[in-house]
Amino acid sequence: MGVDVPSVDTSDETLAARAAVGDECAFEEIVTRYQARVFRLACRLTGSDADAADALQETFLQVYRRIGSFRNESRFSTWLYRVATNAALMQRRARARRPAESLEAFLPRFDPDGRHAETPAALQVVARADELLDQRALAEKAREGIERLPDLLREAFVLRDLEEIPTADVAEVLGVEPATVRQRVHRARLMLRGYLGALVGMDS
Amino acid sequence: MTRVVCASGVELLMEYLEGQLPPELKADLEAHVAGCPRCVAFIASYRETPRILREATLASLPPDLEESLRAFLRARRT
Repeated sequence: MGVDVPSVDTSDETLAARAAVGDECAFEEIVTRYQARVFRLACRLTGSDADAADALQETFLQVYRRIGSFRNESRFSTWLYRVATNAALMQRRARARRPAESLEAFLPRFDPDGRHAETPAALQVVARADELLDQRALAEKAREGIERLPDLLREAFVLRDLEEIPTADVAEVLGVEPATVRQRVHRARLMLRGYLGALVGMDS
Repeated sequence: MTRVVCASGVELLMEYLEGQLPPELKADLEAHVAGCPRCVAFIASYRETPRILREATLASLPPDLEESLRAFLRARRT
């Protein structure tokens, strides 16, 4: 039997089918294709490089063991993101954490007539947070802010807004309706938007 | 016609940006925003928030971690 080395053109689903029947090259190619994305996702979900490294290993171990159970009912990437998200969440839960201080205080404020309480300049400055803040400080604070989100909001926000996975696929990964994903992402954005505002020194 | 104010408009933003609002509500929201510099400013920052946080949390896979992943998987496959 000749060795059929997978190429970059081979679809994920074809690789998965081949890996499921013991093709090691196909499995290797899946790892190569997804390892960086899984690591980045795990960093964002766990807030820790060490936890992300463990989640990375656990993800591909699970993929290796369970690839036979992948059915083409969803895209392979969706199935893999579900495995990776669960692995990252297990890592989070395994580590005792201090209760995070809520981000509720950063939600937008309105006057009694329902109008924004801040001036347009104060409201808009958040959009330039990356120009106004030191990059290293912003990286640290960004991680801290995401950590402070409630778990359900963090998962939805990381998958939808940071990994840029379409809402319908995030819904499948999390096992909820797309409307629920939108609701959670929206709430997370509101909190993090206000949090960025506080970082740039505007009380928004 | 629903009267959209800043507070109720904010709650429609995600659905609006994902094309999920019914046409009438979409028109009401757009009409409000067209006359509200605060909402224009707020929406700009609401849209930029994910990009700023995405760029601030980019992490690349360290080469030594890639190697240890391979070794870990090899050890469990044999």
